[in-house]
Amino acid sequence: MCAMPCNMELPSSPEELTAQDNENWKELLNDSTKWHSIPLLNHTPLHKLKDQGLVRFRGMVQDMMDPEIYLERYEVKLADGSARTQPGKYRDCLRLGKDELLDYHADSNVHGERRTLFVVSVPGLNDWAKEHEKQCNPQSQQLPSVGSGVKRALDEQEDMEVDKTDESNISSAKKQCVNVESKAETKGCSSAVLGSDYLLNSPLPSRPSMACMVKVYEEFDKYTLNSLMDFVGFLSVDPALDASTLDVEAMKDVESLAELQAQNPSPFLIPRLHAFAVKSLCHANPLLDESLQQPAAIEAPHAPQSLESIHKDLRMLLKLCLFEDELAAEYLLCHLISTVYSRSEMQSIGKFALNICNLPKECLQQYTTKLYEVLELLLPASHYLPITLETMNTAAFTPKKDYETNKLVSGLLQLAPHTHLVLDETHMQQGKLEANGVHAIQHLANLINNQQLKCDFQYYQIDYNVDIPVLVLSEGRSMLPSDFVMPIKADEKAVQIYEESLKAALHYLQPGRLQQFRNYLTMSRIAQFSVSEEHTEMIQQEFVDMRKANVKSNADDLHCLLVLSRLLGIARGNATLDKETWHLATEFESKRRQRLQAMPKSSTSMRN
Amino acid sequence: MAHRDYAQDRESIKTFLAEFCKCDDDGKKDFVYGSQLVKLAHREQVLITIDLDDLAEFNESLAEAVIENCRRYASIFSDVIAELLPSYKQQEVHAKDALDVYIEHRLMMDARTRNPMEQRDERNAFPTELMKRFEVSFKPQSTEKAHSIREVKAQQIGKLVTVRGIVTRCTEVKPMMVVATYTCDRCGSETYQPVNSLSFIPVQECPSDDCRVNKAGGRLYLQTRGSKFVKFQELKMQEHSDQVPVGHIPRSMTVLCRGEVTRMAQPGDHVLISGVFLPMVRTGFAQMIQGLLSETFLQAHRIICINKNDDITDKDCELTPAELEELAQDDFYERLATSLAPEIYGHLDVKKALLLLLVGGVDKRPDGMKIRGNINICLMGDPGVAKSQLLGYISRLAIRSQYTTGRGSSGVGLTAAVMKDPLTGEMTLEGGALVLADQGVCCIDEFDKMADTDRTAIHEVMEQQTISIAKAGIMTTLNARVSILAAANPAFGRYNPRRTVEQNIQLPAALLSRFDLLWLIQDKPDRDNDLRLAKHITYVHSHSRQPPSRVKSLDMHLMRRYINLCKRKHPTIPDELTDYIVGAYVELRREARNQKDMTFTSARNLLGILRLSTALARLRLSDRVEKDDVAEALRLLEMSKDSLNQIHEHQKGHVPNTSDRIFAIVRELAGSGKAVKIADIMDRCTTKGFKPDQVDKCIDDYEELNVWQVNMGRTKITFI
Repeated sequence: MCAMPCNMELPSSPEELTAQDNENWKELLNDSTKWHSIPLLNHTPLHKLKDQGLVRFRGMVQDMMDPEIYLERYEVKLADGSARTQPGKYRDCLRLGKDELLDYHADSNVHGERRTLFVVSVPGLNDWAKEHEKQCNPQSQQLPSVGSGVKRALDEQEDMEVDKTDESNISSAKKQCVNVESKAETKGCSSAVLGSDYLLNSPLPSRPSMACMVKVYEEFDKYTLNSLMDFVGFLSVDPALDASTLDVEAMKDVESLAELQAQNPSPFLIPRLHAFAVKSLCHANPLLDESLQQPAAIEAPHAPQSLESIHKDLRMLLKLCLFEDELAAEYLLCHLISTVYSRSEMQSIGKFALNICNLPKECLQQYTTKLYEVLELLLPASHYLPITLETMNTAAFTPKKDYETNKLVSGLLQLAPHTHLVLDETHMQQGKLEANGVHAIQHLANLINNQQLKCDFQYYQIDYNVDIPVLVLSEGRSMLPSDFVMPIKADEKAVQIYEESLKAALHYLQPGRLQQFRNYLTMSRIAQFSVSEEHTEMIQQEFVDMRKANVKSNADDLHCLLVLSRLLGIARGNATLDKETWHLATEFESKRRQRLQAMPKSSTSMRN
Repeated sequence: MAHRDYAQDRESIKTFLAEFCKCDDDGKKDFVYGSQLVKLAHREQVLITIDLDDLAEFNESLAEAVIENCRRYASIFSDVIAELLPSYKQQEVHAKDALDVYIEHRLMMDARTRNPMEQRDERNAFPTELMKRFEVSFKPQSTEKAHSIREVKAQQIGKLVTVRGIVTRCTEVKPMMVVATYTCDRCGSETYQPVNSLSFIPVQECPSDDCRVNKAGGRLYLQTRGSKFVKFQELKMQEHSDQVPVGHIPRSMTVLCRGEVTRMAQPGDHVLISGVFLPMVRTGFAQMIQGLLSETFLQAHRIICINKNDDITDKDCELTPAELEELAQDDFYERLATSLAPEIYGHLDVKKALLLLLVGGVDKRPDGMKIRGNINICLMGDPGVAKSQLLGYISRLAIRSQYTTGRGSSGVGLTAAVMKDPLTGEMTLEGGALVLADQGVCCIDEFDKMADTDRTAIHEVMEQQTISIAKAGIMTTLNARVSILAAANPAFGRYNPRRTVEQNIQLPAALLSRFDLLWLIQDKPDRDNDLRLAKHITYVHSHSRQPPSRVKSLDMHLMRRYINLCKRKHPTIPDELTDYIVGAYVELRREARNQKDMTFTSARNLLGILRLSTALARLRLSDRVEKDDVAEALRLLEMSKDSLNQIHEHQKGHVPNTSDRIFAIVRELAGSGKAVKIADIMDRCTTKGFKPDQVDKCIDDYEELNVWQVNMGRTKITFI
């Protein structure tokens, strides 16, 4: 490994990559600093990037298109009758010089298969995470004037050596200037047929994400819908890729014009990326991603604080936000670190859908949004969705296939794993729920109960596994199902000063502390946990006793207890279950049950 | 692959077409293709389908070659047929359309003017495509497996493949030019241009000798009348949901249909398409932006709608011998049953019943009367006993199913609705859940929460298996051959054993009796069961999978295919079993009369037994119902009754039994005194309707309990 020249440069063009052994490049990318040095497409304006340059894109797989068969190597006939072969991998367009022709029937042509993924930047990524990514972006790190100058010079050199057939860099830079202008035009033009919103296909329309079409060349089965990925590859923004600039009149007879345009949007709206290295991400937290670390941050880590103290601080913070309710704070903390860690045929184990209800009436108007402000600061990705009749009746919740354009049109619930969904039911009014609204409720219930997302393919539906923790805030018991209903026991004094408390909470969240909390939450989420044989038996025995004591307790209660004890254990930094944690869990559950029973029963729950 | 000798293949194809014959039952030779060629020659048939099974029988390597290089052989076949046709013509053919007349005319002209010595320009000769008035297609071998779209890869280019999927989009049928005919404005000669791709560049200059030699520069004009067109349609098909791996998006594929295969499918149809997988040559924009890419499509040879034709199931569903062997083990019935919702622990009998529901009994139609074979089951039970999970599992396992909840469905939503199209004002029928689940399972959760008026809509479906509509001028009967699986909560939250079934779930007897089996799933604390349940759950949590059980559960895919296989059997009940069944039924009725039963026993139960036993025979893949099947059916029926009645045994402790009541009488007789004469007791008790032996028993019971003492002569008892 030491012999591996760390100063070895990354490939600067697709040809350089295909010319040499692929494995070498891959190894090169094991080094996270190399990843770090590649500009992030997410945060770099296109005009600062070079066509066919190396870029990086982080995002969620939103749609997968049909495979493409392309010419991996093709023969070009020159005007004088001689021929040469040209690699076509990692490229969209043919590379033909003047008077050169592609020989479609040459024996030396090699066909290959590649897939196109429609990737959107992580939906619901919170501002702080975006900001962090932006700061780590190598381009913005350097001073623009000096930095770009150096880079330009370097690029030019490389180009000269490697890439003689390519247009010189200056002209490409010029072209880009033109492109930027034409971008505005094409936008106007394309909107006549398909709007850019439709093409970008953001799951959360209110928080538009950036889209990129990533072409992958290997391990096709690795990519699943809604998974988080980090791609490194060559950018391709050739204006020829744009189908929207087509003369619509001339193409009138083409049956699938809409599809053609949807599959070939303007590359300036949706750039193409030919990936040669891919990392799948198990979380969206940029703070814990080595390749997104600022060198300074690595050098001077914050004084390590013990897990227990972080846990204690965080609990205190949550308690402050939850009207001094200790129990609710514990549950909320568990919710924040919950993840579906196992799935069997019908169950998703580990989900922790929490319904915080019984919120004091005095502060309903403001409280939920303020609470979300705090959560937003803690979580890398989350989304706040007020449940109102209007949103239920109008918003698209699940993805739906549009056969006109062959696109999977996204919906609100198409979120990356561990994107917290906060549903605010306090704004719900009485009224009529229309067909869309009824479906929306069903989809939400399905999400909460099974952690599955039903995608509508019109002729049938397909369930996709998701991992979206759902927190429901409501005045009374929520109309949506949940694993844990937590009626809040608000301290009267705390209710009166809740605005100040939340302000204090925000004030308390200093950057250093925030970073600790954020890392703590993500680490806990991916932590491992096990239950020893001996404790398993104890749990079994306790369950039998519990059944004896209370006929109404059933298997679901045991599931809940197991999940709760696991999360309480993880929150306290344990890797295995101990007796105390188990008892804590049973104690919490019985306390919660008491509170539930004390809640006024509605007429509907009486009937059941 | 070694190069094949096409000339030789031509010859063998010729012999194949002319000589291939099948012997029918009488030993008469049937020239399958010869007779078709006659029809083709007479223009009575357009499409000739070459069955590759036949070809393989004739010449195996040739059949393989056809599959490998289908397009080439299709043209060879069509050339050979064109060559053969004139010799098959037995009578003069009347012209059918303008093109026929045109061809005839040209041929006559040609024969008249043509100088046999003259060498004509190829382009001015009649292209064979223009003369061919038939189409050739291949039928894949019956051993050919249907692929999913994602299995069709670049290696299959040029080969004949069969793909299964659902049609998502289809264009209108348009005429596509096959041969373009031009006339020259100078010399008047005609030029033909065969078109093979989706687009063509029209010829501008006359290639005839006259014009060329004279440099007249004759312009060509396209003649629509003389050109040949075929029907053309483009389909988009998509993978079916069960072919999509977890977490992936269904793939789609373009299918091009020409001629007779057009108009075979509509969006939404489940289809099997056999065709040649080819790269597409596109021009214009598509080529510009995709210089590096080649699109692919399937040139359809044969399209079959699976949903319209139940007999044709694709080969995918066949079980392999290894799988059959695995299923054929002794305990396969238990295994299949436990494999239903393996994460739900226990309830073996319920699962067995559900398995039979999936398989279904045999429909009977004696003299036009229809007796349903579908089995309806109602699950009742306390909240939280996994009823909904069972329903969910069944609806996922069943090939065709609908899942609804009672609260969210109205009678109209379940049966059918008449809708007025807002644009045209036409009335249209729209099927509800029950219609959509035709020949499948309709799972209705929270059955008890449905409004009564809506529930009555189901009555007809459950017995007659049809839905009749008489609304807004539309009168029709729709098929709803559906098994209903309902789940209901007891009316008072928990099952109240002191009330009857009707009171408990508040469903009318008319509806309840239509269920073949009623199960009450109760949640009773029981140490052993609870412990096993706890073990199960803790295992799932710590190991992230189902605990290894004695019997390995079968995966859903296999189950689905096996059930499909079972459904194809139609077992009959042999005569010798009728007595046994009748006897059993009479016994049931008698028992029901004698005991104060909480359930119903009616003639419907007899049909239920028949249905269950035929389903059991189906499950064994047998054609005959055996005595064991009937016995098992009876056992299931009994178990289902027991599940409703068992509570009463429980209750006996609370309800005073005879001895207690007699004791009360004795106490009353004794008053303040300590001794009572037995004769008095006898008198009093017999007047109250007790039998002497009951009294004796009571006296003995209480003596044992040391409540009283009986004197030696057994005439008097004394309280202690």
